[in-house]
Amino acid sequence: MNSGLSAEFTALLPRIETLVVVLFFALFAMSFDFISGYTGYLSFGHAAFYGTGAYLVALAANDKLPLLGPETPFMLLLVLAGVAAAALALAIGSVSFRLSGVYFAMITLGFSQVLYVFVRDWDFVSTAPRDGVAVTEKLEGFQIGVPGVDALNVAIGQLTGDSVEGLLGFITLSPTEVSFYAIGAVVLVCYLAMQRLVHSPFGRTLIAIRENEERARAIGYNTYAYKLRAFVASGFFAGVAGALFVGFRRSVTPENGFYFLVAGDALLVSIIGGFGTLAGPLYGELFDAGVREFLSKEGGGGGLLPYLRANVGDATLATDIYNGLTVAEATDTFLNGHAALYVGLLFVLFVLYVPNGLLGTARDRMGGTLSKAVPRRLRRWFDG
Amino acid sequence: MSAAVSALSAVPVLSVLSALPALPLQFADALFEFLAPSTLGEVIVRGLAEASLYVMIAAGLTLVFGLMGVLNFAHGSLTMLGAYLGGLVLVITVAQSTGGVGRLLAFGAAVVVAFGGLAALGGALEVGLVRPIYDRPPLYQILLTFGVTLVLDELARIVVLFYGLQPTTVWQDVLGTKPAFLADSIGVAGVSASGLELFHVLFGVATVVGVHLFLTRTRYGLFVRAGSEDSEMLSALGVDVNRVFTVVFALGTGIAGAAGVLLAWDPAWGASVPLGAETLLPAFVVVIVGGLGTFRGTVVAALIVGLVDSTMTWWFQNVVSFTGLPEMVVFLVLVITLIVKPQGLYGVSEVGGH
Repeated sequence: MNSGLSAEFTALLPRIETLVVVLFFALFAMSFDFISGYTGYLSFGHAAFYGTGAYLVALAANDKLPLLGPETPFMLLLVLAGVAAAALALAIGSVSFRLSGVYFAMITLGFSQVLYVFVRDWDFVSTAPRDGVAVTEKLEGFQIGVPGVDALNVAIGQLTGDSVEGLLGFITLSPTEVSFYAIGAVVLVCYLAMQRLVHSPFGRTLIAIRENEERARAIGYNTYAYKLRAFVASGFFAGVAGALFVGFRRSVTPENGFYFLVAGDALLVSIIGGFGTLAGPLYGELFDAGVREFLSKEGGGGGLLPYLRANVGDATLATDIYNGLTVAEATDTFLNGHAALYVGLLFVLFVLYVPNGLLGTARDRMGGTLSKAVPRRLRRWFDG
Repeated sequence: MSAAVSALSAVPVLSVLSALPALPLQFADALFEFLAPSTLGEVIVRGLAEASLYVMIAAGLTLVFGLMGVLNFAHGSLTMLGAYLGGLVLVITVAQSTGGVGRLLAFGAAVVVAFGGLAALGGALEVGLVRPIYDRPPLYQILLTFGVTLVLDELARIVVLFYGLQPTTVWQDVLGTKPAFLADSIGVAGVSASGLELFHVLFGVATVVGVHLFLTRTRYGLFVRAGSEDSEMLSALGVDVNRVFTVVFALGTGIAGAAGVLLAWDPAWGASVPLGAETLLPAFVVVIVGGLGTFRGTVVAALIVGLVDSTMTWWFQNVVSFTGLPEMVVFLVLVITLIVKPQGLYGVSEVGGH
């Protein structure tokens, strides 16, 4: 970090805390993309599964659930969160897949909003259900690792996580960095599992349903059963993502768990990254989080505002642009904390001009998935 | 594992049961009180007032969907912009000393300005953004208008903050421009209703009649109805379908703007940036329950949702101590309608390829 451009890098690149959020939210967006991008059925109520996973972990840690206490291993909770979300997906999906198109989007939205209102006002979850649940009964961090082997577990969380010093003689990691790798490992496993499903005959059938459902049905596929199974799988991974969210942040509110705009964010990053490409949402979320942090209000760590303060002269910042509005005030008014405006504009431009998203377009350009196309190109280039 | 899951599912049921009155006797008492003529009358009047608001919010959405098959996710944000625009007109024109009639005239001016401003914006949106993607799958129109919502909400937040107001709280100055007699309650035959509720009903009825007359009595209304059936055939008959689309989109957003002004005077809603998301969801519920694209269905659905909402509000205030009851039941109406009648009450399946 001592290169000539280190100030620029600090300003442009997101902090490690943001990157952890990118990981578990990307997993949620991938699970959304798994059902919506591959079958073409817009699951607008997908937040219900994310919220279910998140609340399950928070309630279990606060000793509110029967059979599950604060001592329940987090790895078990991850699976249970997935199973609970999958069971919910089975219930919602078995009713919703009788509909299609916009009606499907609306009935899933309806289900998730019913749950949102219910959780928001149900005083069982906490004394102030509108403010959500914070993990208060469990003081130590949630542990990710190999179940049963104490040495192979690490605690996650910004304050409660483990730090690593001198591993293999030279690796030293802060608690947030440990969380990054631990959560990253879970996300990777989930990604590989979904990747496996997508490239199996099962996944091909989902694409057939998206391209022409009538035809898929005509050749004898029970499309209802395929869609439902995909929905349940998608719900499972959304639940795991929600569990990771609470594992790291140790609190959840109805607004960032169950509200329909959570699914809206997943939709946004899926489109920017590439709808119908499983890895796309990760890049979309990275892009979205990067822009948001670059234009964040407090500008802690990196971002535009500290960079301008440090590198642009006071005289420039105090220059009048229009009617007493200085450059500093203008960035404060129009840029900082208003990333949603620019992300929204980019999103509209993506829908209009880059409908395949970042990864989808890159694949189209290269003629295949990047892992295959890039080595092929390189080989051709070297062979001259 | 399965034991744990079934134990989990048992928890909510138990807690809901305990939230409801345990004794059937108490329930019967409440039912008896609810069915008393004066209570029932008040609930119905309030329900009609809410139905009027819902029909105002949803009318534009259903017109646009019926003709173009575009589910406009930006509709709520346009209502919010209308609330601010109308609120601005009201705050500028109404002084402390303005009388009741003067304030009503100012309200009329605010509705005209909001309708005009939003119609212009809607027309521009249709020509610039929506028109290029009519031939794409319906998903992309949802995505595009969703993106427009993000942009409009954030722009509104920037402007509102710039003028020193809080975007998330209701703009109180607008509520202050309401004439005093609208806050009074009027009693007729033992049923008391607030002036504002009657004002809403009046406004809602006028909108329904207006849109109905537009659809059935004007040349453009004829084009709209014909275009909903088969827009290709309509253009083959020599009608400039693109212009019809633009006009209907502008009209739909204009109605959303007018609805916003009405909401800006209602203390239960008020002008604020979150108003966009708050109105979008009930508008969806009404439009979907009625059946996408049928104006008659929207009116009936608005009545159903309004009455259900006011009934549940009474039950929540008097019997059941669950704050979210009215809102939750409104979404349950959506879910149950779609389960029982998948195309909505009056819906036809083929609109817009959905």
